[in-house]
Amino acid sequence: MKRRDWLRQMAVVAVGARFVRPAHWDVPQLLVPMDDAQADHLKAYGLTFAALKAGLKSEWLLNYRGGAFLLPDVAELRKEAALDGVSVESISDAALASVRGLIQNSNMDTVPLEKAPRVAVYTPPSAAPWDDAVTLALKYAGIPYTAVYDDEVERGDLTKYDWLHLHHEDFTGQFNKFYLAYRDAPWFIEMVQANLASARKYGFANIPALKKDVAGRIRQFVVNGGFLFAMCGATETLDLALAAEHVDIAGAFSDGTPMDPDADAKMDWSRALAFRDAHLETSPYVNSMSDIDGHQVNDPSRRQPLGTFTLFNFSAKFDPVASMLVQNHRSVINDFYGVTTSFTKPTLKPSDVVLAFEEGTPWVKYLHGDYGKGTWTYYGGHDPEDPEHAIGNPPTDLSLHKNSPGYRLILNNVLFPAAKKKPLKT
Amino acid sequence: MAARVRNLLAALLLAAPAGARAQQPDTSAFSRALMAEGNNQYREAAQLYRASLHTVDRVSAVLGLERAYAQLGMTDSLIAPLDSLIAQFPAQPVFRDVQLRAYTMLARDDMARRSFEAWTRAMPGSPDPYRSYARLLLQANRAAQADSIIALAGRALGTTSSLQMELAQSRAALGQWESSAVAWRGALSAMPDLDQAAAYSLAPAPEPVREALQAVFLSLPVDLGARRALAELEMNWGAPSDAWAALRDLPPDSGSVSAWLDFGREAATGERWALARDAFVTALRARPTPELALQAATAALNAGDPQTALALAPAAGLDSAHTAATVLPLRVRALAAYGKPAEAEALVQGFAHLLLPVQRAALEQSVAFGWVRTGNLPKARAALGRAGPDADSSDAAGWLALYEGNLAGARAMLRNSNDASSALAAALGLITRMHEDTAADVGQAFLALARLDSASAAAAFAQAADHHADAASALLSMAAQIHVARHGDAAAVAIWQRILQDYPESPEAPGAELAWARQLRRAGSAAVAMQRLEHMILTYPESALVPQARRELELARQAIPGGGQGGPTR
Repeated sequence: MKRRDWLRQMAVVAVGARFVRPAHWDVPQLLVPMDDAQADHLKAYGLTFAALKAGLKSEWLLNYRGGAFLLPDVAELRKEAALDGVSVESISDAALASVRGLIQNSNMDTVPLEKAPRVAVYTPPSAAPWDDAVTLALKYAGIPYTAVYDDEVERGDLTKYDWLHLHHEDFTGQFNKFYLAYRDAPWFIEMVQANLASARKYGFANIPALKKDVAGRIRQFVVNGGFLFAMCGATETLDLALAAEHVDIAGAFSDGTPMDPDADAKMDWSRALAFRDAHLETSPYVNSMSDIDGHQVNDPSRRQPLGTFTLFNFSAKFDPVASMLVQNHRSVINDFYGVTTSFTKPTLKPSDVVLAFEEGTPWVKYLHGDYGKGTWTYYGGHDPEDPEHAIGNPPTDLSLHKNSPGYRLILNNVLFPAAKKKPLKT
Repeated sequence: MAARVRNLLAALLLAAPAGARAQQPDTSAFSRALMAEGNNQYREAAQLYRASLHTVDRVSAVLGLERAYAQLGMTDSLIAPLDSLIAQFPAQPVFRDVQLRAYTMLARDDMARRSFEAWTRAMPGSPDPYRSYARLLLQANRAAQADSIIALAGRALGTTSSLQMELAQSRAALGQWESSAVAWRGALSAMPDLDQAAAYSLAPAPEPVREALQAVFLSLPVDLGARRALAELEMNWGAPSDAWAALRDLPPDSGSVSAWLDFGREAATGERWALARDAFVTALRARPTPELALQAATAALNAGDPQTALALAPAAGLDSAHTAATVLPLRVRALAAYGKPAEAEALVQGFAHLLLPVQRAALEQSVAFGWVRTGNLPKARAALGRAGPDADSSDAAGWLALYEGNLAGARAMLRNSNDASSALAAALGLITRMHEDTAADVGQAFLALARLDSASAAAAFAQAADHHADAASALLSMAAQIHVARHGDAAAVAIWQRILQDYPESPEAPGAELAWARQLRRAGSAAVAMQRLEHMILTYPESALVPQARRELELARQAIPGGGQGGPTR
């Protein structure tokens, strides 16, 4: 049975269940453990998402067994779990009462999950899902998403989605300075031509101008209450593009004019989501955008070695949002490079919530914050299971990394918008 | 400011009276520096290398100083002494090269460029500055800039012939595969030992351009380095037959023989025996030696080509203990495999006086197999009898018992075998499932398989299933496997359906359903394959094959990448 058909069928089951049992939680419950007892952590998120999509309400048990999920024990969910190899456990009413007691008296909490978010991924139409860790994870977990790009953003389609992901897009319009090494590569030429055509279609003189406008619309999506999740180079360049609304920060190779020599001083960081007071890299020959990234992987003379990063342990009852984003069965995770790998501490805004950091270094890995009515989360690096991924490397096969703690952080972000908003206790 | 101070210091040094400088040549400093460096005393080594800079050891001393400063993280301290040395010896390429490296390491791109330009001015007509700078840029993943430096060399020198390797690497890094192959071809004609570097550089070339690359390396005139590189490349691309095609028409000289032998050994290591045979036979024609003939014959026999093995390992000259120990077993095995057990038997008897009892026993067992293959079980039994008392419990005796339908005897003998082959595992797996002590029809089925009569064997196993209820599903599974090996997918599907319908609780049922689903996916019926896989996972959740089924399901759903190149990421 196709997942689409199954979801349709499940919706009917859910409607029926509500009709028969108005108090929906009197149905037996199924516990999806997320500690080391889970055979496939990544698919477990897909199972939970599918339940929500079918209208079955669920609960996220923060800090309980690695951030377990509680789903209605219905045959179709059990079947889906069996097919996907997701470990599930029947839980009796008495056992569940005991778990709730434990949660009540510990640094744990329950968060109701109500509605599957509508997921969009900002990616060029020609990109394969294997180019981006998030689309890899979504595909593997079976979470449906819609690919959007400049056309959809310019048309105002972002209002159709709850959650938006950005990955290696360079919102400064400089293609991550790949021009230096790949200007003659067919894929690079094709990418530049497609973006240029798009810029002209919308009346922009060049690609940096188009990307600034797209960045502004993404910012507005967050202001209006959207959930933004960015990884890799999109984190740094989105903020640079936002702060550079009225200043030329692009090299001559991308817009025909050199960068404004006073660009640093003219940046308006109040428009940026996460960063402030960063210094731009002025040389078009240095493959770096600014000093936001701590690792500078594409500049051999500045590159910093990879270490491990540690997740903060938040109070589940007082900081449920941050807690949701760091649910994991591991607290220390191997780091991985990306165009932007990490975020230097001096460039963080004071309001940023640091979710993960590397001990003894001047950078952090994983950030979150509120902006307008929405939220943003930045996760440095490209692919948690391919730490030194380079252009042309084969894609990661997630069926070989079913328990990846690095990928779990991505999927926490996908489920986080499903949470029913509780009034904050602080 | 710092540059001005450096220049001033250099000027002062040069202005010092020659006599004053000549007074302090510390001739032992260089050897002491080497010792200090060897003892990881880099600070001391650096001081001593600096003291050696104005002695005859200056070139080696600069290189030592570069190493020591790199260890100390003081590469910037190299700049001043290099400036003064270059002022003294402007045509010394090592000093220029080290200066360029130092600036690159310090990420002082503008100074590196100036250093390169100064070098080109000091040594007009030399390709050295272009080569060094291009290599450094390539190491820094700045292929486009390296390419522009090579283009500059072309304009300044009138040719890039001495920069072919750098050109090839930069073009490969830029994804200009065909242009890279042309440059590699040029580099390989001068330096054939670069074949592995060329293959490594071109290995990521995508499928659609590979034909063009093959054409570049195969074009006339035939060049050994280019052909070796192409062979390596084809091996990297998983096309060993094409790799051999790149080598087989080389002119028969010593370089070619070496290439053929290397290829043959690699193929033999990978158990690609037919290719190993072809390579050894080609080498043998150019350089005939008994050892090579034996190697070629062994490869041929392992490739299932006993006729060639017999032609390569002639009967003449067998009358010595050495050849009896080497060529004789090969001929006996080949004759037995070629359906000539009588000749094999005669050979063993004719040279029995040269054989140790243990050697003779092994050869008689080969003879027995030969008789089995012709279906003459009494002769096979007789051969085993001659093999001595140990042969009664040998593998050959076990197989013979099986072919005669003596399941009890076969179980007892084959269970103790050291043979790890899949054929033995399959046979044992089946007969241990059967409770009878004898089953002539099953013996006949195995015998047909041994005679390579796979069609009869498949039919016999399927028919035997009707008479042996306790192992019916295993017998059917064996029949299906034989059909698959014969590319008889339709017949195999019919048997898998029978297993699932008649024996759904049998241990073979999940395997049959998985095999059926795989066949469906291969045939392009992904949706039906997914139904079968879902059914298999849900029906047999405890089966050890469930993880494989889940993976197949992911592939059918396209939830994981199914091979191929990654896109432009990071």
